[in-house]
Amino acid sequence: MARFHDLEVTDIHKTIRDAVVVTLKPVNGAAEEFDFTQGQYLTFRQDFDGDELRRSYSICAGKDEGILQVGIKRVDGGAFSTWANEDLNVGDTLQAMPPMGGFFTALDAGNEKNYLGFAGGSGITPVLSILKTTLATEPDSTFTLVYANKGVNTIMFREELEDLKNIYMGRFNVIHVLETDAQEIDLFTGLVTEEKCAQLFATGWIDITSVDTAFICGPEPMMLGIAAALRTGGLDDSQIKFELFASSQPGRAKKRAVSTDAASAANQATAVITLDGSTQTIETPKDISILDAAIGNKMDAPYACKAGVCSTCRCRVIEGEVDMVANHALEDYEVEKGYVLSCQSYPVTDNVVVDFDQ
Amino acid sequence: MAEDMSIESYLAQGGVLTNPTNVPPRYRAELMKLMTTFVDSELAGAAGFADVINAGPGIKERIAAAKIVLEKTDNADRVLKIMGEFGVDGDRYASHHPWTARLGRDADIGASRTEHDMRLAVFNYPLEGWSDAVVMNLLMGRAVAVQMAEFSMVSYQPLAEAFRAVAPVEARHAELAAEGVTKLAESGDTAALQASVDYWWPRVAASFGAADSTKADSLKAMGLRKSTNAELKTRWEAETKSVLDGLGLKAA
Repeated sequence: MARFHDLEVTDIHKTIRDAVVVTLKPVNGAAEEFDFTQGQYLTFRQDFDGDELRRSYSICAGKDEGILQVGIKRVDGGAFSTWANEDLNVGDTLQAMPPMGGFFTALDAGNEKNYLGFAGGSGITPVLSILKTTLATEPDSTFTLVYANKGVNTIMFREELEDLKNIYMGRFNVIHVLETDAQEIDLFTGLVTEEKCAQLFATGWIDITSVDTAFICGPEPMMLGIAAALRTGGLDDSQIKFELFASSQPGRAKKRAVSTDAASAANQATAVITLDGSTQTIETPKDISILDAAIGNKMDAPYACKAGVCSTCRCRVIEGEVDMVANHALEDYEVEKGYVLSCQSYPVTDNVVVDFDQ
Repeated sequence: MAEDMSIESYLAQGGVLTNPTNVPPRYRAELMKLMTTFVDSELAGAAGFADVINAGPGIKERIAAAKIVLEKTDNADRVLKIMGEFGVDGDRYASHHPWTARLGRDADIGASRTEHDMRLAVFNYPLEGWSDAVVMNLLMGRAVAVQMAEFSMVSYQPLAEAFRAVAPVEARHAELAAEGVTKLAESGDTAALQASVDYWWPRVAASFGAADSTKADSLKAMGLRKSTNAELKTRWEAETKSVLDGLGLKAA
């Protein structure tokens, strides 16, 4: 099971008005765990007024650069991204799980391949990591990037991409497609749709027949359109690599209405909780979820959404009875076997025994 | 670019998901079920076959059997790693089930799972000696080939990629089984081989699931299935019948 590690913020700078590039250094000997592959992402956790949020951001550094760097674009109303853009400072400590994800292909210095990348907005972060690593590792390969943005001033890493064009002249090409800003070539204005891709292929801007692998990272409709155009262009599914970070996040668990006799002794329960092979007995109010009771007693219980949707916090009730107020994840047969979502389950009987290991 | 699209309609239009953060709950449940079924079946299959290694008549056969055990365990590990990204403790998972446990040869469990794990029902039946094991491996190997072709197209990209890597390895296991059955058939005891085919055929057929599954449509909408249980079973029956014909055996 993946664990969180401490990372020190060693640098932070803006790439556009509302996006920062954060450089991180693993501390406490965790460096080896953060030896990433190009295109992977990190999952961070951070407390906001007692509520822990988890958010994933792609690494934007190339593998050969020797640094760990993520790009974080501010999302309207997004607690984590706003905090990272406005309040995060050099010297602060962040917590993240080791790199995850399979948005990459194996590289080989002997390859002579043609790669095609599509990025929409902040979807550039993993694609930037991939293209930098690829161009540095495979001297005979080429990379063409189609980069979709609203306008010129929202293009993340614009200068860095220009620099890369100069370093890898003839091997790296960028096509900026802008939604609102007019460009000299009409084809480069608008959205990157299936039709737009077909036009790029038909007019020779992209030689689709020579493409070995395509990478796509952006919002859902853009990914669908591009994938359809690539398939029409002759690529099969094993040649198309996707990375999707949906913008919608599950809602937060609402605090359960506490009955008026909450303070009375009758509201207390004894919970016996087994996790990672060890068992703790704790006294807990009946209006605190099993998960929160475990976490409140320093048990590292697994969870992610705290909204009853992800099932990461699943545990099994061995004795006693709990009230599961929401269940969007477990199937009937699991519930029949006594599984509950601990974030949604409150003790009913005075004694409950639950096991996270089953 | 900022147009909104629900994950559900994205999937229904053939979109793929790439990491646990954007997997919706119902999808997650079905995906976890698919992954645990595969992992449990591979681990149970490998554990059962491990006991048969020493029954191999010659060194080549034992090498083949040991290789199959190794590679099926390795295939389980690939998918278990993906489950790890969903919070599953892989080490704990792999060691807390009694993978060698089997029911009686005549147990009548249809397509149902046991209480403790998600292995396909067929992996709950014990193997009876070398030739029985080789026949089971041939029939099930053909079934796995059909399943892998189907599941290499699932909408969860990391799993689709794992299955694409697993498919040729599993295909080789079915070939090894076919070679094994050919050798056994040459040495004579066709009646015993036929008895094993008769025993395993309906049990492997049942592993494709109920023909009247009510989930087919929702699985299709999530991009987790393309074909129905019945279609896959028909494909397997046709392909395996012709393999058996070539070996002088009859499908049950």
